[in-house]
Amino acid sequence: MAIRLSKGKLITLGVVALVVVLAIFMVEDWHQLWVISSAPDNVPIVAMLFLVPFFTWLGIKQSNANDRLIEELEADPKLAKTHHRKAEPWRPGWAREIHVWPYLVRIEFLAAVIVTVVLFVWSITLNAPLEEPANPNLTMNPSKAPWYFLGLQEMLVYFDPWIAGVVMPSIIMVGLMVFPYVDSNPLGNGYYTLKQRRFAVGMFGWGFLMWILLIVIGTFIRGPGWIWFWPGQTWDHNAVVFDKNVDLHDWIATSRIGKALHLGFLSNNPFKFLFGFFVVSGFFVLGALFFHWLMTVDFKRITFRPLRLFPKDPFEQKLLARTSLLQYVTFQFFAVSVLLAMPVKLILRLALTIKYVWVTPWFNI
Amino acid sequence: MPAQDPIVSRSTSGIMLVCALLLTATLAWSLYDEAFGQRPWKGIQQQFVSRYTKYLRSIKAQAGKTEAEVKQDPEYQTLEGEAQSALDAVKPQTADIDKKVVQIQRELDAVTEPFQNQRGKLTVINYNVEIAHPNAKDKYRKQAQQKRAEQVEVDLPAADGSGKINTQKMNYDQLEKLFNDLRDEKAKLLGEKAELLKQPTELGKKRDDYLKHHMTGLGPGQIDGLIRKMDQFDYSILPHQISVNEFNIVDRCEVCHVGIREPLDLRAEDLAPGGPGKKPDSLARAFVSHPKKEILQIHAPDKFGCAGCHWGNGRATTSEEKGHGRHKFWLWPMFEKENTEAGCQQCHAKDRVTQGADTLNLGRDLFYQRGCMGCHRYEGFDRESDSLGNTRQSIAQLEDQITGNQKQIRLDENPPEGTTDEDARKMLAQSEALKVTNSVLAARIDQLNLQSRYLMQDQKKVGPNLKDVRLKLRKEWIPVWLANPQGFRPGTKMPTFWRFAEHQDNGGPNMRDADGKDQIEAIAAYLWQDGFDGKVPEQQRGDVGHGKELFESRGCLGCHSIGDEDNKIGGTFAANLQKVGEKANFDYIVRWIHNPRERWAPYCPKEKRDLTSEDYAKHNLPFVFDTELHSRCPNDGAELQVQNMTVMPNFRLSETDARDIASYLFSLSTPPQYDAAAFMDSPELRDKGQTLIKQYGCAGCHEIKGFEDEQRIGKELTVEGATPIERLDFALLTKKAEEGIDPLNLHAAPEGSPAPAHKEEKPWYNHKGFFEHKITEPSIYDQGKEKDPKDRLRMPRPYLTPEWRNALTTFLLGSVGAEGSNVPQSLFYNPEDTRRQDIQNGWWVIKKYNCVGCHQVQVGQRSVVMDLPFYQTPEGKDLLPPRLTSEGARVDPAWLLRFLHDPSLSGEKTPAENAAITNAAITNAEQAAKPAAAPAASANNSQAASGAAAGRMPALPAPAGGTPAVPVSSGSNPGGGHLKAQPGLDRNGVRPYLKFRMPTFNFSPNELQTLVRFFMAMSGQQEPYIKEPMQPLTEQEKLVARQMFTSGTPCLKCHITGDPTHDAKAIAPNFLLSGERLKPEWTFRWLLDPSQISPGTAMPTGLFRKEGERWVINLPNPPASANAYLDDHARLLVRYMLQMTPDEQRRLLATAPVAPPAAKPPAQNARLKTKGRGSEVAFNKGRRARRPSIAAANAGGTLAVPVLVPRFTRPAGM
Repeated sequence: MAIRLSKGKLITLGVVALVVVLAIFMVEDWHQLWVISSAPDNVPIVAMLFLVPFFTWLGIKQSNANDRLIEELEADPKLAKTHHRKAEPWRPGWAREIHVWPYLVRIEFLAAVIVTVVLFVWSITLNAPLEEPANPNLTMNPSKAPWYFLGLQEMLVYFDPWIAGVVMPSIIMVGLMVFPYVDSNPLGNGYYTLKQRRFAVGMFGWGFLMWILLIVIGTFIRGPGWIWFWPGQTWDHNAVVFDKNVDLHDWIATSRIGKALHLGFLSNNPFKFLFGFFVVSGFFVLGALFFHWLMTVDFKRITFRPLRLFPKDPFEQKLLARTSLLQYVTFQFFAVSVLLAMPVKLILRLALTIKYVWVTPWFNI
Repeated sequence: MPAQDPIVSRSTSGIMLVCALLLTATLAWSLYDEAFGQRPWKGIQQQFVSRYTKYLRSIKAQAGKTEAEVKQDPEYQTLEGEAQSALDAVKPQTADIDKKVVQIQRELDAVTEPFQNQRGKLTVINYNVEIAHPNAKDKYRKQAQQKRAEQVEVDLPAADGSGKINTQKMNYDQLEKLFNDLRDEKAKLLGEKAELLKQPTELGKKRDDYLKHHMTGLGPGQIDGLIRKMDQFDYSILPHQISVNEFNIVDRCEVCHVGIREPLDLRAEDLAPGGPGKKPDSLARAFVSHPKKEILQIHAPDKFGCAGCHWGNGRATTSEEKGHGRHKFWLWPMFEKENTEAGCQQCHAKDRVTQGADTLNLGRDLFYQRGCMGCHRYEGFDRESDSLGNTRQSIAQLEDQITGNQKQIRLDENPPEGTTDEDARKMLAQSEALKVTNSVLAARIDQLNLQSRYLMQDQKKVGPNLKDVRLKLRKEWIPVWLANPQGFRPGTKMPTFWRFAEHQDNGGPNMRDADGKDQIEAIAAYLWQDGFDGKVPEQQRGDVGHGKELFESRGCLGCHSIGDEDNKIGGTFAANLQKVGEKANFDYIVRWIHNPRERWAPYCPKEKRDLTSEDYAKHNLPFVFDTELHSRCPNDGAELQVQNMTVMPNFRLSETDARDIASYLFSLSTPPQYDAAAFMDSPELRDKGQTLIKQYGCAGCHEIKGFEDEQRIGKELTVEGATPIERLDFALLTKKAEEGIDPLNLHAAPEGSPAPAHKEEKPWYNHKGFFEHKITEPSIYDQGKEKDPKDRLRMPRPYLTPEWRNALTTFLLGSVGAEGSNVPQSLFYNPEDTRRQDIQNGWWVIKKYNCVGCHQVQVGQRSVVMDLPFYQTPEGKDLLPPRLTSEGARVDPAWLLRFLHDPSLSGEKTPAENAAITNAAITNAEQAAKPAAAPAASANNSQAASGAAAGRMPALPAPAGGTPAVPVSSGSNPGGGHLKAQPGLDRNGVRPYLKFRMPTFNFSPNELQTLVRFFMAMSGQQEPYIKEPMQPLTEQEKLVARQMFTSGTPCLKCHITGDPTHDAKAIAPNFLLSGERLKPEWTFRWLLDPSQISPGTAMPTGLFRKEGERWVINLPNPPASANAYLDDHARLLVRYMLQMTPDEQRRLLATAPVAPPAAKPPAQNARLKTKGRGSEVAFNKGRRARRPSIAAANAGGTLAVPVLVPRFTRPAGM
């Protein structure tokens, strides 16, 4: 009997096989990998390595099922009234509605019991990882925040402490609070769906995965001296790296092209301030256009075409039409300054060693 | 039929049950974890209680037996009887009192509650009065009155004890009175009872004390007490925890180590799991009592905790790993057993010798003696150079001040025009004042100059003076030595400079610099070209046999060793001399043995150069320099370095003897042919060598021209042990260290041993591991590193035995300073009393000059010479240098000072003699000025310098001080004496009969003072010592003393008198010295029981017996006059001895049994030559005859004394 695999499973298997092969060839120091992943403080993040993909997969799976169901229900008006039961669609003979008590509560209770058991076992077997007595003259190296703050700490690499520690977190939190208010989509509440909330789910997933990625980098990749060690490299306290970051204006001013174009003045004071301002403003404009494009694009048929104000899809059209200008601008502001600025800055810093884009006496971006 | 609705129809009971069960199980688990899992010590405590109880039961029977035995003692029974009868006598009265007290107590119980209730209510009302509004106060006052007047019922028991109850009504005042009365009465009765019981209690205590002092170990009662304690054992942390609020110490070690402070000496076998005496497990080993309880007595755990000394995590209770601080996050793990004494160093960092910490003391010795301190500063270890630096700085400051003042004086004395009279007067007054100030300052500079001279005299270097290499060494040998010092002389102090060494042992990779050979050549070239040029007086070879005897008997072996690797004997303080003939110039060695302090040319620290004879000639001065009169620079008056910076003392040997010893040393080896070393004269190499010498810090241990003021090149190590582990650079070995892979295999089991020291390889990523590896193989952390030559490690590889390595590691581990210490600074050992300070100051000097090589300074310490094979017989033991354990009590400090200054006691020079030295020197100044003339100088402080061109000038007959009998070496040596006269030649001041020679150390007054104070402090003597006047003896007393002196074992049989014929057999000091030397109290104790002061002494014990309060001579037939003398005989003898005069001694000799005329020539020198050339056997045989033999004394006795057998510490003739 031939084993038939779906395309998705084949891809998943392929990715897993690739990771295993890479690991076997790239990992120099398994012990180091074990030390990091077995540290009691890293239990949650190691678990997340598996839990996040699993639940993402689960969510997508259920969304797809729902989306198919929605299609089916919308196609058949007779079934339209039964759409309350989405997880397991209604069949004749079944109750149209099911009570919370006992059918939901018992499942929640079970979940609570299981979580309690897991917490019990966890807390008995793994004690709080107390480390050496604090010594202000000698901080440990690397000195890491708890796992859930590691993303924040990792952000310090890319931004000025004030931006990374105060402004960004505030924007993120306010942005999360703003979500319900900028959302003009009435569908998709209480069930998994991709189709009805393509953009919202996509943006949230992007932000969430980015955050997890930062935590993973902070946990597995940042070694002594907050130096970048690939997983499997030994964390050598004496490791030496050459790391010199330049501000964008200097980078341009001293580059070959910059010299050829006599852009040296960009490094001088009022110019560098203005230069940064224009770059950042430009970034916001471009970012907004990018997000608008995302809202309107049909991923199945990406074609290069002039940007249009309204998407082709009637549903999307309707949504955009429902959105007020204030909602739209608010969303764009948070989307550009968090969802886009972060990865762009990460790439600028890691790949191009750009320190700051906009340097002012008060803050640096 | 559609399928059933899965949500409605599905049952969750199964999974619910499983989850519920799981939850219950984890709940149970968590409860167990809370009670036991997180409290593993509970189980450990239970184990201890059961094992200890078992052990206590097993020893109880034995204890009962011994107790019963003691109780059988008649003395105990008398005490028991007395106590019992005393108790019986008062019994009726006490019983009566008890009865009364019981009745009073009943009444008191009845009245207490109503009284206290009323009092409480009243207090509340009074409080209300206090806080009430003035208008309302009266209301409460009224209430209080009512309360006072209120009648309360009291159920008083009847006074006859019949049990009837009388109910009475009382108001508050009545209640109060009744309560107080009853209480007073009870107190009175109890007081009476205590008075009655006083005598019986005291007697009972006397009885119990008797039992306690006569029982060995614990009595059954005490053991029962311990068993009971175990029955009521509290299985928790609090009662076993030490908590010292004041110092923030919380220490829970005793939660598991429960037996640490038990009164019994618990061993692991006693607490074995299978019962006492079975095979112990690890728990049993944890339960033992502290192995050194006496240390706990000084360092009470209630004050210091355990982790204070041992380190580790005193608070952790959950696992051995955590408690012992082996957890990777606990920075300061418990010291390993072999390094425990590192804990002592924390607080005793200022000590030179810490009692009971032998490993640590060894570590300090090594750090000092092996030259570590040449490169590494360690606070306290370079006292002399530190003070010298300070002194020189102070001198410079004072000089500046004087110059400044002079300027001011000039200004003041020439007031500018227009100064008013008054101002001019003021300025004049100021200049007067400044002049006086300047004279005061000048006086202080004089003092400081003196001090700097002393300090320069005291400043020593570990290695030899390399300015002398041209005079001393074979040129071709130098590169050979530099390439591999350990190869030439295994165990030498000179470390291997692996960066240019030829050999790489330990199996490590070759870490040699690419230009290693060139470096050797360059260094050799510099040393050779910058050495003193000249020629030492030529010497002929002498008598090897005699040289060997002198070498073995004079005391050389206290510091030096001789023999090949496996047959080495002697000390490790100084070099092994087996191969000295292969490297050195014979003439120089003779000169060196004759007087090692004799410097070739003086060094002026101000001009920073060695002076030459021309410097002296320019000022028309003779080229003479010594520590006493000629210590200043002729150019600028600065104090000079006039001695070699060696600790080797002057043995006051004659030139012939020095030649004989040198000949012996040179006879031990045949010099091989070395490769020619023409490169050593190349000037380019010299310059390169200079850089290298600076780089490697050679001047830390050696005197090298141009490097006199060189600073240390190494890291300061005072607080090295406190370096955080992250800052110890394990370099490429970090991972190996963490995984326990040891490239040096330091803790591997020695070959052939049954069990390996550590079964598994232990991680050594800790301080101990770092230090051990670094000192064993300094290059280890440079291995595999890409470094420029200038950045490579410079530390050479020292020679280390495993024991030494451990000692040094211990010392470094404990070097944590106040910051890194686990003990609060206020608990540091910082003695305020001068006595203990004197002891520590003294140890620095004692250790510096290795006094302990020959002497026993402290009880329990062994000197090197004690363990030499020649002195293992009882006769041999008599020939050892004196024990100094009670030196401070024995001798007069003033005398001791004089003796240490000049151990030959040959007296000071007269002014005339001093003048003669100077005159002779001046006469020679012209010749000395000639550049070609080999400079010669006298560094000995009481020595005559006979001139510069020693070879050509006849030696000046040396003034022999107060001992005209001593022959003058220069004149009497047929071999052509070229060296300076030796004052006090061949003379021991106190014990001329010893072959050991107390050498002249040239101590500066500072060190003399320190040493004297040390000995006084060690014996707990008063400071200052004021001699009690001696009561002169009456004629009658003299007669009695004389008779006692000559009867029994005549004292003069053994004690020397100064008469050569008599002294040939004497083995004890001269009585003529005792008056100024000895303290009467000590002498008295010595006479009573010498063996207590110096076990194994030849002085007989039991010469006196106690009769009432006085000591009388212990003879079967004491002289009649002694019987008639009613005072203390021993004290009489002390007075007699300490007031001995030469006349009196002659008188005694006339009556004493005269030794048979000596067949040997009388002079000591001659005797040594004729008799001493044999083997040790003959040597000891000769001495045996001189041991005091009672039989011989009696046989030869002229007095008709019947045979008498005083108690000897060893049977005679053994």
